[in-house]
Amino acid sequence: MTMLNIENLTVAVEDKTILKGLTLNVPAGEVHAIMGPNGAGKSTLGYTLAGRPNYEVSAGSATLNGEDLLEMEVHERAAAGLYLSFQYPLEIPGVPAMTFIRTALNSQRKLRGEDEMSAPEFLKEIRAIAKTLKIDADMLKRPLNVGFSGGEKKRMEVLQMALLKPKFLILDETDSGLDIDALKVVSDGVNALRAPDRGMLVITHYQRLLDHIKPDRIHILVDGKIVHSGGPELALELEAHGYDRYVNEAA
Amino acid sequence: MNAPARKLDIFDPATYPTRRDEEWKYSDLSRALREAPKAVGLSHIQAEVADFNGFYWHCAGDGQLGGLQEAVNQAKGRLYLDMGDFGTEGEVSGYQGEGHIRLGAGESLILLEDYTGAFDYAAHTTIHFELAEGASLIRVVILDEPETATSVRRSTVKTAPDSVYKQYVFATGAAFQRFETHVDHAGHGAVVEMNGAYLLKDKAHFDYTTRVRHAEIDGVTNQLIKGLVKDRATAVFQGRILVERGADGTDARMHHQSLMLNDGARVRAKPELEIYADDVQCAHGNTIGAMDEAALFFCQSRGMDEATARALLMQAFVLPVAEQIEDETVRDMVLNWIEHKAGGFYGL
Repeated sequence: MTMLNIENLTVAVEDKTILKGLTLNVPAGEVHAIMGPNGAGKSTLGYTLAGRPNYEVSAGSATLNGEDLLEMEVHERAAAGLYLSFQYPLEIPGVPAMTFIRTALNSQRKLRGEDEMSAPEFLKEIRAIAKTLKIDADMLKRPLNVGFSGGEKKRMEVLQMALLKPKFLILDETDSGLDIDALKVVSDGVNALRAPDRGMLVITHYQRLLDHIKPDRIHILVDGKIVHSGGPELALELEAHGYDRYVNEAA
Repeated sequence: MNAPARKLDIFDPATYPTRRDEEWKYSDLSRALREAPKAVGLSHIQAEVADFNGFYWHCAGDGQLGGLQEAVNQAKGRLYLDMGDFGTEGEVSGYQGEGHIRLGAGESLILLEDYTGAFDYAAHTTIHFELAEGASLIRVVILDEPETATSVRRSTVKTAPDSVYKQYVFATGAAFQRFETHVDHAGHGAVVEMNGAYLLKDKAHFDYTTRVRHAEIDGVTNQLIKGLVKDRATAVFQGRILVERGADGTDARMHHQSLMLNDGARVRAKPELEIYADDVQCAHGNTIGAMDEAALFFCQSRGMDEATARALLMQAFVLPVAEQIEDETVRDMVLNWIEHKAGGFYGL
């Protein structure tokens, strides 16, 4: 069953059209990758689905489990189960990581009409997950992402995914800023979240990440449209020959 | 140091500074207080000696600042000054007073000054501090006055070698509220900090003016002031650090950061470093901006509604000032106070 359904999505940022009728379907339980050259609109897709202000949708639709994402406020999309992992997670001075995550979690629960998670229950859960991600307790008390290394920021992202338990994950260039050890920890964390009732969209520029997070399908995004889709073998072909062939086709 | 030519007397309008006085350019007392307030007899009753969260409790409201040194002597290092001023409705009561606090060599004091009040009043109070060698004063000031108040709070500070003077001021403003500190820095290992945070809304006016003079070698001054301004409120920060010729080894840093939460809110900042010595380290930073929309989106994308995300970020903006307070009891009190006050900022 299709989980994320995007039809003919057309999006402009500051009067410049970036996505030009993008169509994409990701079924539950599958991991799809979007690859493409710089400027193709990869990050724009993630931001549009998450509801970033000033991303104007002029045509098309996007639904998650049949719910219209584009009609929802940003936080409602999160509560509906969408999670965008930022390429560059923001630093939030003055807000301890623990406070940030607990506020986010309980806001989502409140919106869904669920009970808030109690402090002891939350502590127990966050500590257990932090341990698997090699995040020490001290880091959880520090302001979120402030002064964290690239690897620490991405581990913090995976920690949030694991706690918030979204239905659908969008990973925007999760491999950027990671050395090979950090890449492994982060990928293991993401792979642990693969589930029959969860979908993922992995946005990446390089094939490297896909060695660790193995996709079921790969889509090539050029100039705001999916120009080609295929199996995992597509990544190797792109690594060998680059995007030129597809860029020329699009033009 | 640059005091108004005529000594301010709250009962004599002829002495009120105006915008034409450089030091009062952004805070015009003569406009805020058009006529002299009514001098009232002592309305305030000295409380029985009491304990306030482990502090010696002393009432010094209504301008009754005469007994400060005696209170310090009784306080065993922890003094709570209850600075409640009570006005009358429909008529402005006037209060004025001066007090002195001296700490001997090596003595230390944690001083919590709590300025509150009710109804219409105009208050002008001054506290003179003198620190002997190696003395330490941590001064935490809460300015939680009614929106009807006119309030001028001044202090002079004389430090000595190896002494520590740290000031934390937390303010919500008033019809007119000015907190002024003049420090004569002794250098030779002495450390001065003048920090602050303000949360202003409606038509509140808050002016934080600091003056530090380094005339000796090896003095340290640090300042971190952060604030939130919304509605039609006005924040004024005037900071001057003067480093005289020969005051080598001075290390002075001044930072003021303000968030304007809507059009119509005003921030006037005038940071000044005047340096005549050669071998010094000085830095100042002054930023006035709007809320970081990218951070706001990040919070919302994790599930926080806009009001929750804004409140979290606003509180986070000013909290670092309070988090520096060394004393845990006072720090927790201030953190709670800020959380309570920031509540008024949630709904935009």
